[in-house]
Amino acid sequence: MGWGIYVHIPFCRRKCFYCDFPSYAGREDAMERYAHALCCEIEIAAQGITCPPPWGREIIADGGGGRTLLPSGRGKASTVYVGGGTPTALPQPLLTGILHTLKEKMPIREDAEWTVEVNPGTVDRAYLEGLFSCGVTRLSFGVQSFSDTLLRRIGRIHTAQQAREALRLARDAGFRNLSLDLIYGLPGQTLRDLRESVAEAAALGAEHISIYGLQLEEGTVFARQQEQGRLELPDEELADAMYGYITEELPRLGYLRYEISNFAKPGYESRHNLGYWQDVPYLGLGAAAHSYWQGERRANPAALDAYMEAVESGTRPAALEEPATREIRMEEFCFLALRTAKGIEKEAFREKFGCTMKSIYQDGIARMKEKGLLAEENGYLHLTALGMKYGNWVFGEFLL
Amino acid sequence: MQNKNIRNFSIIAHIDHGKSTIADRLIEYTGTIAQRDMEAQILDSMELERERGITIKAQTVRIDYQGKDGQLYHLNLIDTPGHVDFTYEVSRSLAACEGALLVVDAAQGVEAQTLANVYMALEHDLEIIPVINKIDLPSAEPERVKQEIEDVIGLDTSNAVLASAKTGVGIEEILDAIVEYIPAPEAEDEKPLKALIFDSYFDSYKGVIAHIRIMQGRIKKGMRLKMMATGKVFEVTDVGCFKPQPVDLGELGAGEVGFVAGSLKDVRDVRVGDTITTAEHPAAEPLPGYRGVTPMVYCGLYPVDSADYDNLKDALEKLQLNDAALVFEPETSVALGFGYRCGFLGLLHMDVIQERLEREYHLKLITTAPSVIYRVHKTDGEMILVDNPAALPPQTEIQFMEEPYVKATVIVPNDYVGAVMEISQEKRGEFKTMDYLDTNRVMITYHIPLNEIIYDYFDRLKSATRGYASLDYELADYQESKLVKVDILLNGDPVDALSTIVHRDRAAMRGRQLAAKLKEIIPQQMFEIPIQAAIGSKIIARENVRAHRKDVLAKCYGGDITRKRKLLEKQKEGKKRMKAVGKVEVPQEAFMAILQID
Repeated sequence: MGWGIYVHIPFCRRKCFYCDFPSYAGREDAMERYAHALCCEIEIAAQGITCPPPWGREIIADGGGGRTLLPSGRGKASTVYVGGGTPTALPQPLLTGILHTLKEKMPIREDAEWTVEVNPGTVDRAYLEGLFSCGVTRLSFGVQSFSDTLLRRIGRIHTAQQAREALRLARDAGFRNLSLDLIYGLPGQTLRDLRESVAEAAALGAEHISIYGLQLEEGTVFARQQEQGRLELPDEELADAMYGYITEELPRLGYLRYEISNFAKPGYESRHNLGYWQDVPYLGLGAAAHSYWQGERRANPAALDAYMEAVESGTRPAALEEPATREIRMEEFCFLALRTAKGIEKEAFREKFGCTMKSIYQDGIARMKEKGLLAEENGYLHLTALGMKYGNWVFGEFLL
Repeated sequence: MQNKNIRNFSIIAHIDHGKSTIADRLIEYTGTIAQRDMEAQILDSMELERERGITIKAQTVRIDYQGKDGQLYHLNLIDTPGHVDFTYEVSRSLAACEGALLVVDAAQGVEAQTLANVYMALEHDLEIIPVINKIDLPSAEPERVKQEIEDVIGLDTSNAVLASAKTGVGIEEILDAIVEYIPAPEAEDEKPLKALIFDSYFDSYKGVIAHIRIMQGRIKKGMRLKMMATGKVFEVTDVGCFKPQPVDLGELGAGEVGFVAGSLKDVRDVRVGDTITTAEHPAAEPLPGYRGVTPMVYCGLYPVDSADYDNLKDALEKLQLNDAALVFEPETSVALGFGYRCGFLGLLHMDVIQERLEREYHLKLITTAPSVIYRVHKTDGEMILVDNPAALPPQTEIQFMEEPYVKATVIVPNDYVGAVMEISQEKRGEFKTMDYLDTNRVMITYHIPLNEIIYDYFDRLKSATRGYASLDYELADYQESKLVKVDILLNGDPVDALSTIVHRDRAAMRGRQLAAKLKEIIPQQMFEIPIQAAIGSKIIARENVRAHRKDVLAKCYGGDITRKRKLLEKQKEGKKRMKAVGKVEVPQEAFMAILQID
């Protein structure tokens, strides 16, 4: 199983209108200091995890009604994911410096999946070649749409042509595993826009496509426009038609839906992201990064300066989010695993918690099956196609 | 203490005119409670009372005061409930006094509820001392208010005290006025015991503690006493006065106010208005004015989680320990399952009980819309009382129906007379009288169905008059009305808990409004939900809740699971208050939708 490393780069050239992720525009002044702090954190964290075992599934939490086996990192990390923000907003030497530090300090497997998120407006041939030669194996492009009108409307800094070009350059640089993100339900977006974007993504030969429905988040430009009545979102029916199109068309093009929002050609699923859903431990490094380590969830300070100051004072800044009780662990085990097409392995639940899923969730499972939202196959409990649409309702049933 | 040094008095005031604050100042000024133990509004001891700024249970306190003549006086303050739901309780408290302070806000003047209580005090021959409060306000007009008291109530205001409970001005003058103007109680220690119960509460150590005023005779520890109405006999274990905690004195004599406790376990044995006498030599006649408890408003209370049924029962029983006016019996609803039909003195009483059940007993409840008690005359000659629309017999078995009417008294500035009339007319009110209280203020009375009052009558009055209207009402009579039952169907199935009884002429409109309101309240679900309103088999309105297209959290940023969990928890919190009615998830507030129709 291994474990994962997530590295957060909280810088952007400009904040996209829909985005409420922790990232800062116009803080180029802080980049060098941040990269330095991040490398310090990597070192501190690496010392922490090279402590002797017990690692792996032998960690046991007692209390709250029974024993719980907790996943821990066993051996070396098998995935590294550098996300943001915009990692490629950093000058190339800073980013490759971080990658080198990771490689040097952290125990990482030879065959690990190394992903870096890329904004097509921030890279050239040399930048991409640099990433490849650092050992990055996978790039995830924030493309969002292939319509220039839409790209401008949502505050992206690149054009459709730049996206095509970036993907081509990445191939040239040697990358064989490319992913791109698309968004549907954008203001002014038509079904035709979406069709064209999906077709182009496939035509460009992406191995992996993530496609998200737009969500309005507090504090974003879109939220403000919505308040002022200046945001014309597709109505429910159109958004529904878009969803229907995506979920039918992508599999037809050879992209299998292995998670609610993720589609991949066989063998190209994002191992790192699957880890989030499959109870795999991960270390989060950088401002606002989240960790799941030895059964506890922690978060680094989201504010850039607070994060840097904490690290510079020599501490790992990760704060416990909430003490994980046995109940919380059960809930998360279930609603996270349900996001994947495979679903929850019932035997894994029993092994981890020492009791059957039925003994805990009998009523909720029955209700969801009756509504046609859940199904069971080969010892796995998974969302039906309908269940994927109403995922939140099903997840809610697994809260105790 | 000699009787000539005892004064028993109440405070009469409209909500917000400062009754409790004045009481606090009197207590504070006389050192009845040490300063460090003072909590704002001591007499409103229930958390809810403080929050709402109202008094629900009567409270009693003995204040020791050294008068100007150098003598020590016992001033017994009986704080009365300040709401129209508790009119009977107020009347019993007043019957325990010789005098009353009439507290009127110097900026607001006389209000409807003040009037009702003043008239009641005058009926009991109480000496009334006007207190013009809040004279520190810039908008205070004490002279105008004095004049109004003279004109409207016909009270002499030459002994009126100008006060500000906030700043402490006039507090000593109030105490002196109480000593000077309020008559001492008559001393008839030797006659057979007659003590009036004007309130009671349950103490987990001492059992039921009765608030009493001894009209004649004495009570001593160890005596065997008898309740004249309920027949309950008990032995006195504690007798004394409130300071404001009960202090055991061993005995109380005629004219005194205090408490008595004994082997009393059930608050229903200790009825407000009942007379306590001795078991061995009982008085021949009880004191006048006793009346049984009659709930005016009923509603269904159902646990959201049916597993809480027994907990709800326990909680209701515990509340009943302290509240003889609360009645309840088991009830079953097709839509809501097992619950209780509960009777209340009025809407405030209902609100308070619901809130206490949720707050103090942590119950999640679904409350059905309140109903009055209808008299249904059936074709077979039988007359039945119906307090639940779902229990109304089929139209074909009903010969005619009667509904309760109240006399509603509204006081408003004359600019708003039109608005009051329009609303009252719309609520099927019949205009009775209109009197000018002064050049600006008008008192209007209407004969109006209680069924209309319990909807939004007062809220509408308040908003149409910028909050100036004050309302008081009392049950008048029952009258024949053309009433029909409007049923609601969700997804084609009737939901009994949503049925409502309305006047035939407005049934169609009510049906449409109710269906429209339910459409707003019921969240989108996986399938379309038709909402229909029907009278008998005739559909009078239809709305649709459209199907929810999808609901799933799409993205996950950098393994931030906590954020996802929070969203799910928020969603779950909303669901907790939903009741599955057939296939449809119905939020709690849907069952009160009828009250939210404008």
